[in-house]
Amino acid sequence: MARVAIAGAGVVGRLLAWTLSRRGHAVTVFDPAPGAGPAADGKGAAGFTAAGMLSPLAELEHAPPEIARLGLRSLGLWRQIAAELSQATGEAACAFARFDDSLLLAHPGDGGAAARVLARLALAPDIGAPEALNTQALAALEPSLAPGLNGWRLAGEGQVFPQRVLPALAEACPASWRWGERVESVGPGCVLTVSGERCACDLAIDARGVGAALANLRGVRGEVLWLYAPGVALNRPLRLMHARHRVYVVPRPGDVVVVGASEIESADRSPVSVRTAFELMGAAVSAIPALAEARVLHMETNLRPALPDNLPRVELTDGLLRVGGLFRHGWLIAPALIEDALAAAALH
Amino acid sequence: MEDIFEVYGERLSSRLLVGTAGYPSPVVLADAIDASGAGVVTVGLRRTLASGGDNGFLAGLVGRLTARGVRLLPNTAGCRTAVEAVSLARMARELYGTHWIKLEVTGDEYTLQPDPWQLLAAAETLVAEGFAVFPYATDDLVLCQRLFDAGCQVLMPWGAPIGSGQGLLNPWALRTLRERLPQAVLVVDAGLGSPVHAAQAMELGFDAVLLNSAIAHAGDPVGMARAFGQVVAGARAGYRAGVMAPQAMAVASTPVFGQPMLEG
Repeated sequence: MARVAIAGAGVVGRLLAWTLSRRGHAVTVFDPAPGAGPAADGKGAAGFTAAGMLSPLAELEHAPPEIARLGLRSLGLWRQIAAELSQATGEAACAFARFDDSLLLAHPGDGGAAARVLARLALAPDIGAPEALNTQALAALEPSLAPGLNGWRLAGEGQVFPQRVLPALAEACPASWRWGERVESVGPGCVLTVSGERCACDLAIDARGVGAALANLRGVRGEVLWLYAPGVALNRPLRLMHARHRVYVVPRPGDVVVVGASEIESADRSPVSVRTAFELMGAAVSAIPALAEARVLHMETNLRPALPDNLPRVELTDGLLRVGGLFRHGWLIAPALIEDALAAAALH
Repeated sequence: MEDIFEVYGERLSSRLLVGTAGYPSPVVLADAIDASGAGVVTVGLRRTLASGGDNGFLAGLVGRLTARGVRLLPNTAGCRTAVEAVSLARMARELYGTHWIKLEVTGDEYTLQPDPWQLLAAAETLVAEGFAVFPYATDDLVLCQRLFDAGCQVLMPWGAPIGSGQGLLNPWALRTLRERLPQAVLVVDAGLGSPVHAAQAMELGFDAVLLNSAIAHAGDPVGMARAFGQVVAGARAGYRAGVMAPQAMAVASTPVFGQPMLEG
């Protein structure tokens, strides 16, 4: 049994704590958040703000195939984690994650944009291939869609529900959770908190997102909207292929629909801009006209932690593991990335 | 004779100018710029400024570029009025310490076609303030003439709408610009999709090409950047060497006279 101290209770920190404590290790987690959540203030873990799409194939639009492969492996791991969370909490596994495919959509006038995205997806045929749907098949899957849209099914893709998964990972795991504790530094075998506590351990893990001590880490602004749309059927995550905007529309429990997301090279957490809100809402309504009468529940901004190559990094030295730079792929790739990192650290 | 490319008194080593938007990552962007050999790089800053500053993305890039002697060309992308564009140009001058400005004023949201009237008004103001203005224009002869008269030594007509990758939609208009504005530095800006399109622009006698999406959205942006650099240099050399005029009748490279006649 190893003593492990983790700085940061985002997707990576909580998954690490969950995995390691289930393997019998003694885990302590430090995070400035007041508790396990859920949170929707954009101040804490980026995972709370993210839509939680598990969409390895669709991410090929702008990510290299290694991200898609990590995502593909993680899809299987998320099924397992959802089942374990279900067992631990008594809730149904589908309260944590669903695997009902995802759809790529394009308006007829945006055929060029769609062709570009589909060409990129075709560069990695081992990940999978989009299945073109005819009008009837598309309408059967998603009856609320605007008529005339073109659609492709990405079989096997899914989504997690961040507002439920993040709290459950903490609540259902026997780690020691030190909420309200901001970490000053993470060194080999030691986590030092701002309040002066020094936590000695066999392995210290830095999983602080944009706050991690990784060289050249930057925050990339992302903005999302939550809409309340009772009566609007939406069964799975949608991605609209458009010449200028990357927009997804994702169902959440309680008739909530999340629409996102901007990607702006600025470490700015200020509220959502009019331009972003306007573009996201416009795109969402163009795909699902009934969303025009949805109510805007909430808007949120957060920062994606990114390294210069926009790829994740796992740095392992004696007694110290740093995992970061998951950029826009935190939920998508975290389980596989963590599995690899723990194998490298020989924490079985 | 040396092929000198001079813009606003600056001698540039490459006739390829590139943008910085839409790349898969900052590393790919920087590597692609290196591979392209471009001596001028445009940077948009409207949205980053509006969001309260850079996150290290621009600072890192700018440091690397200036260390290699690459010139920055801030742009006013996203502006819709002359007033907006002029104010952004002033901010860019403060921020990057350059009086070079790529002037963009959008007149139509769908095609991102420049607004000729706002563009000309902004150009006149900026030239009077000492800016070296690179206006992104349509291929309209009268507009380009007016911009040149206003003091824009460089004119940048579109080949096709931004990001569309359609190539040179109106070669006749571009050829006319070349013929009628021999003193202007002419750059095809926007709409190029493949290196072939860049070669066509150079063969029309254009001084340079500026592009972004064709590299940023390529399967391998670094490889495509290198390809554009090579093709632009090659096509320029071909243009200077004098392309022979086409004719309908075939002309055998090896004379047939004297070959044995095989009949029977």
